[in-house]
Parts: sequence; C-alpha cells; structure tokens
Amino acid sequence: MECKFVPSVCSYCGTGCGVIFQVLDGKLVGTLPMKTHPVNEGKLCIKGWNLHEYVNSFLRLKYPLVKTFGRFIKVRWDEALQITADRFKEIIETHGPDSVGVLVSAKITNEENYLAQKFTRAVIGTNNVDHCARL
Amino acid sequence: MKNKIKEWLKSGQIDIFLGYKTLQGHPLPHAFGKDNLEDIDTLITGSNYYPLEKIATKLVAEKPDIKIGMITQDHSQRALNVLYIWNQLDPENIKPLKGDGCSSNLKEHADDSHREAGKSGQFKKQFGMNTHASIEEAEIFAQQERFQRWMYEFQKCIKCYGCRNICPVCFCKQCSLEHSNLIGTGSLPPEAPIYHLVRAVHMAGRCIDCGLCEEACPADIPLRLLYRKVNAIVTELFDYETGSRLDQSPFSIIGESITLKLKPIAAA
Amino acid sequence: MTNSITEIEDAGCIFVIGSNTTACHPLIARRIYRAKEKGAKLIVADPRNIQLSRFADVAVNHRLGSDVALLNGMMHIIIRNAWHARDYIADRTERFEDLQSVVAAYPPDKVSAITGVSAENLERMAKLYATNPPAALIYAMGITQHTTGVDNVKSCCNLAMLCGNVGIASGGVNPLRGQNNVQGACDMGGLPNVFTGYQPVSDPDVNKKFSRAWRKNLSDKPGMTITDMVPAMLDGRLKALYVIGENPKLSDPDWNHFNHALKNLEFLVVQEIFLSETAQVADVVLPAASAAEKDGTFTNSERRCMRIHKAVEPVGKALADWQIISKLSTVMGYPMEYNSPEEIFDEMAALTPKSYAGMTYERLGLNGLQWPCPDREHPGTPYLHKNQFIQGKGKFHGIEYKDPAELPTDEYPYFLTTGRMFAHYHTGTMTRISPHLDIEQRTGYVSIHPEDADKLAVKNGDPLILSSRRGEMEAPARVTPSVTPGTLFLPIHFGENPTNVLTNAEAFDPLAKIPEFKVSAVNIKKLRA
Repeated sequence: MECKFVPSVCSYCGTGCGVIFQVLDGKLVGTLPMKTHPVNEGKLCIKGWNLHEYVNSFLRLKYPLVKTFGRFIKVRWDEALQITADRFKEIIETHGPDSVGVLVSAKITNEENYLAQKFTRAVIGTNNVDHCARL
Repeated sequence: MKNKIKEWLKSGQIDIFLGYKTLQGHPLPHAFGKDNLEDIDTLITGSNYYPLEKIATKLVAEKPDIKIGMITQDHSQRALNVLYIWNQLDPENIKPLKGDGCSSNLKEHADDSHREAGKSGQFKKQFGMNTHASIEEAEIFAQQERFQRWMYEFQKCIKCYGCRNICPVCFCKQCSLEHSNLIGTGSLPPEAPIYHLVRAVHMAGRCIDCGLCEEACPADIPLRLLYRKVNAIVTELFDYETGSRLDQSPFSIIGESITLKLKPIAAA
Repeated sequence: MTNSITEIEDAGCIFVIGSNTTACHPLIARRIYRAKEKGAKLIVADPRNIQLSRFADVAVNHRLGSDVALLNGMMHIIIRNAWHARDYIADRTERFEDLQSVVAAYPPDKVSAITGVSAENLERMAKLYATNPPAALIYAMGITQHTTGVDNVKSCCNLAMLCGNVGIASGGVNPLRGQNNVQGACDMGGLPNVFTGYQPVSDPDVNKKFSRAWRKNLSDKPGMTITDMVPAMLDGRLKALYVIGENPKLSDPDWNHFNHALKNLEFLVVQEIFLSETAQVADVVLPAASAAEKDGTFTNSERRCMRIHKAVEPVGKALADWQIISKLSTVMGYPMEYNSPEEIFDEMAALTPKSYAGMTYERLGLNGLQWPCPDREHPGTPYLHKNQFIQGKGKFHGIEYKDPAELPTDEYPYFLTTGRMFAHYHTGTMTRISPHLDIEQRTGYVSIHPEDADKLAVKNGDPLILSSRRGEMEAPARVTPSVTPGTLFLPIHFGENPTNVLTNAEAFDPLAKIPEFKVSAVNIKKLRA
C-alpha cells in the first residue's frame, strides 16, 4: 500500500496557497492546507480544499483526439503529433509563420509557458503568442 | 520510541505509522511503512500539526482491515475515543504512541502551544469576540451585545468549510452544512448565524477541543470558543465529557427510528 | 503586486477597488480582515456591495467605469489639503505637474456627478487613504477589464505615489492575479512583444541573445495579442491556432463573434485537461496532465515562484504540457530534449538575468522566492521600488476621465457587470465537475436589485432574458441588494448562460487590449412562463 503526502501549490487563483495532496495507492484522495506555508499559513478557501476533485474527474481527457468528418476519434500520440506538425508546416509554408497563433496559459507552469513561447518563436517563427489573462 | 515503531512494523502489528517528517524545513504528515524502516529515523515528534486521526479514518474507509500506528497528544487520544464510539475506527486496529506534547498556558483544554491563536487586534476585541476569551469572559456581554459580536465574526466567513474539513471527528458522508434546505447556497457570507450554529449543534458531544478548526479558519472566527460552549452545555446536562471515556455519547440516540413520543434521555 | 501578501496585515489603510476579494482571493481577504482587526482603516470602492463593504470605514458604490474620475477626485482633495508626500514626490518622482493640472479640474461636486459618490464620502476616502500610512491599494479585474484599463491602473499608481506609498513595506499598488500563473505566463514571455522577464523582442541585443541561445533567427516584429487575433481569424490572416490550457471560447468577449472566428480557422489544436467548449470545436485535441500530475513552478501575484510536485501519474495517456510541446517541436524538426522541468527552468533562468537568474529548484524549496532575484545569493524581493523606482523616477500621468464604451440608453437601460462567484473558477471547466463546488452553485444567475425586480415583477429564480447590442441569453434571477439599482451582475463560469454573448468585443483598451467585460448596457425582460 502506498500512502503519501505531497506538497504543492493551489491552482485556483493567483494567491498561491500551499497545499498538501494526500495520495493513496496512486490516487488523490484529499487536499490539506500546508500549515507552515508563508502565503496561507494552514488555511484554504472552498476551492483549495477541493483541489483534488477535478483531477479525479471521469471527464478528464485521456487520449489524443483527431476530428474526422466532424467526429472525434482516438489516436495514438505519434499520430496526433504527426498530423499537428504536418498541418502547421503546411500552413506556414503556404501562408507564412505569421498566419499561426499560439495561446499560452495562465494555468500551466512557468517551464511550460517558457517552452510554449520558445516553440512559437523558434519553431513556428512568429511572435503571435499571447495568454488569456486579459479575459 | 523509534525502535518501538520499527518493531511494530517489522512484526506486522501495524501496517503503517502516521507521524511527521521535515521536508525542506516544513514539518509535513508522513506515512512510515515497513518497506523502508530507516525512514523512521527521520520521524519528528515535537508537535501535532495535522489531523492524523482524520487521515486514519480515511485510510480505514478505503482499507477496512488496515492496522495503523500513530503519534498522538492528549487531544488526539480524545479524538480516537470519539471515533471508536462512533464506529469509525476500531481500537483493535489502532496503536497510538504518545508524542512529546508541549506545555501551554492553554493546557487546561489543550496541549499544543504552537496552535495558540495570535493576539486578537483591538478592533476585534471591541466589536467581535476575543479569540482568547473563556466562556465566562465571553458571557460578560449582555445577550444582545454578545449576539452582535458573534454576528460580526460570522459575517467574515468565506464559507471554505475548513472547520469541517480539518475536523478529526467530522466523518459524515452527508453534511448538514451542505443541505440546501437548511442553509442557502451560492452567496457570501453564508447565512448567519445559521451556518455556524448548525455546525455548533453538531459539535455537541463531538468536539474534542483540538483547536484545528480555529487554526484553519481564514477569518479568525473563534470557533473553539463556540464549540467549547456547546460542549459545556453537554457536560452540564448529561455529565458527558466528550472523548474522555469510551462510553456512548448521549447523542447516540440519533439514528434510531423516530417515534413521536418524547423519549426520556437515559441518566448518565 | 509591488508588495507581499503578508505585508497587507500591517498596513495603516487598505483601499480595495474593483476586487471582490473574499470571493476571488479569499486568502488575501484574510490579510485584509486581520489588518482591519489590528486597527487599519478600510476603504472599499465597488459597483456592488461586496462582503468586504460590511467591514469598511467607507464603502462606496461608484458608477461602473468611473474609476478614473473617482481616483482623480480623491487626489484633488489630497492635494488641496496638502496631504500629499511632498518630499517623496520631489525626490523620487517626475511630472507631478501633469497630474496636478489634470486633477485640479476634478473638484468633489464634478466627481460626485460622474461617480455617484457623495462629496462627503470622497473627502473621507481621501483623508483615510492619505493620512494613515502605509496605505496599500488593492485591485483586480474591476480596474483592468475596461476600455480605460490602462488609465485606471495609471490612476491607481498616481494615487499611491502621491502619498508616498510605493516602495515601502505594507503599501504599494497590488493587482491580484485571477489565475494561478498569470504572473508566470507573463514573466515567461507569453506575450507578443517580449521574451522572458519582459525583454523586448524588438531590442536587437535581446533578440540576438535569444536567437543564439535557441539557435534560430527570431522575428523582431511584435506579434498579435489575443484581441488582435480574433479579427485576423475573421479576415483570414490567421489560419491556425494552438491553444494550450485555455478556454477562450467561453472567456472571450462576444461569444458569437468569437465562435465565428474559430470556425474560420483552417486548423485548431487544443491542449487541455477537459473537453472544454473550445476543445469541442478543435481539429486536434491533446490530453494534458493536471497540476497534480507533474513537476514545475508557478509564480503567484506577489511574484513568488514556487515548486509544485508530482503527486500522481497522469490519467490515461495524458502527458505534461512540457512533454507535449517538446515532442511536437521535435516532430516539427526542432529537437527539444529535456529530461525534467528543472532543466527547462535552468535554461530559462540563465536567459532571464534581472528577475529569475538567482533561482534554482533547490533554492526555491517549499517557500519559493520572490523576484527580482538576480543572483544565487539574493534573498528575493518582498516589495519593489525600495529607495528608488526600478525605472529611475516614478512618473506621474495626468489622466482625463473617459466614459466607458457603452452607457445605458432607453433601449438598453441597465448596466451589466461580470465577475466570479466564490465557489467557481474562470470558465468552470475545473470547478463545475468538482462535487463539493458544484453543490454550492449549479447554474448561472443574474443578480438584480429588489427595486428593479419589483418593477418587473420578478421573483427569485424567475428566468430572465438579457439582451445587448450583441445578442441575448437567459439566466434565472437572483434578487439581492448586493447590486445597486440599475446594475446587474452575471457570474462568468456557466457555459449554458454565456455572459459573453452580451459583452462587447469591439470595446477594449487601446494599449493593453483588454476587453471591457465590466461594463455593458443591457435590457432585461421576464421569460414568459
């Protein structure tokens, strides 16, 4: 049996409260506030207390999907990535890199945001990268 | 102590030991297992920060036969007693190990100075309830004023449910606080004073005065004082000190079939 | 935030404008409560009666979109009474005259007429803010989501500098970030004109540095913001869109307009944890790991970069966003081979000298570090502009008040504003499937004042039709005095009651390109049973 407590940061707003995920046999079973965290000192709001619930939702996306004739079909990662890469390359060749835009996220990590803008600028070749924080 | 835990794990008397371990300067709850006995050398025993009893209840709900050892202080023993009485934990499967409690000027009702609330500010003392007030001090105010002071406190509530979520003796699958016929949903603050009074009523004969609720409250509502009051009433009426012994709670009639006749409450 | 969350507790005065803090940033509201209880003065200016208003020394409902007038009015009174910080202004700021000449034209009677706030309350607000240092100014989207968003922010800065509140502990100008890593997304260069740490793409030295590091010649022409992308999608300049972890279909202003734009794309890729409204219309959907399923860092509102730790394996075949991007990039012929997020972090920190350079995973620990953290010995920065403004002198801006893009008319007689409620987050993709949050609020609603409800014979729960120049939608009424007469409030989380059918995509701030979500003119009628 595996039972562990993993420190993390809440992803429900810009406050950045320290949480502890309670894990049982590879499944998130609860969220606790981190008592000694400088931001929240052992307190959380309703969203923070229930942070583990969305992770376990049966509605989570589990496979890459490609739309074919208006319907999504499950595909393997290599297929999904190849299709995406081919379409991007085709559009860049025909219409130039500035015909592609990337929206990065205020919900993903710093490392991922860094990579996403690097991808936009170095791989696609455009500065058309923005995030949705204005919204 | 650490050798004893190793012994328990090795001999199969327990499957897991719940305690604390320091990670990058932060004491965090930790489950020690038999696969890594050296890990137990990193156990810290100083203070009780998290509701280990609640974590144990959750583990048992998933794995009914699991045998759990855990570090305890006075109040956690009271919590365990309540959980035994209400059949949430089986004393056969729990091995408490008394940690180093720390002295406290709140010793009478608790035993953990690290959990003492910070000083109440002047404004709070003037218009709300001083977090450190005893029941007697809180009752100095005339009823109307006392009510207004509590209402000041309740209006700060951000409805995080932290008081319930952290509570080692809250285990109900369906909680009255989420019953929309009892308490309206969707607005802040939650309906005052009903939200807090519903919880207070349910703490009668339940609350073991560990102080975790008050510590988890983002609004610094003196919840401990509130629940201490309902428990003082329980003690007065039923001569029942919650968690002190393993006898049935006077509230264990709840759940029996309802009759329309008044039922005399069994003498203590 | 120029200052830190804990510092709020020790403020002498807290001025909250355009932030429903207890609902949207509850653990920051905690600090406000604590400050208040220690004796701080509290000023709340919001078009609605929010929970914090109950604890305020002065709480006012200024008319939607009248923030600049309100702030100018306060500054007028402060200067008239000589409450401003003259030495601080002389030593540390410039162009005070610009401000002085503009706010001179905002006497209380004029401001009162624009904002609906009484002259008496204006005087009290000005006095409380100016005479109880240090004063912390706190705002959120109520200040920024306007056609005058930048003007509003500048006015907040004017007020704070006027009283010497920038560059001191427990003072400052403190925008609260709505999403957990908005700060990080901006710091990391998730913007069309800058690389990491706000280094401009058009700066030749910067561009050269990144071109060399990434071994690719990079464009120095700033790209399109999201607000520019929508028209570009409509007129065919933008053919493909790659959306990572966002649901712009619901969060974008003017849903119909945006819908149309998405349909016009040749190729849409959405990388998400749920099949969001946007993902549903995508050509390719890539399943991403959630925050509990990966390592990395987030940067909160107070610029504190903190570690998140992987607690569980991703569901199904989902992968962390950093892995997906690396793989896609590699397939496209630009190999990205990282073994861990830490390697990416180190690459980023090395390219971001002023703010992140001194950070490593080891140094971050569980407490994190607040940027600027320029070197390995630097302890991080709890508050900015100590002793001197980062840019040298703090610059005042004389800002004239401008009306919002829409004001109520005979046809659309109500003000509509939008925002969050306490149990849900953004477009609801995460919170509405969370049982304990769903229980709190299952559907959208429209808040309406009892007086307005009486006029229309509307009871709690009655379905209403709201219409604006853009479209119409339905929502059940919530009759509540938390809104003022003539103003309606809609929460943004509910796709079946899409707020953004009503809001105005054409109206956005000319500089920040932020849409005016907070003000539109609408009409309501009862849906016939």
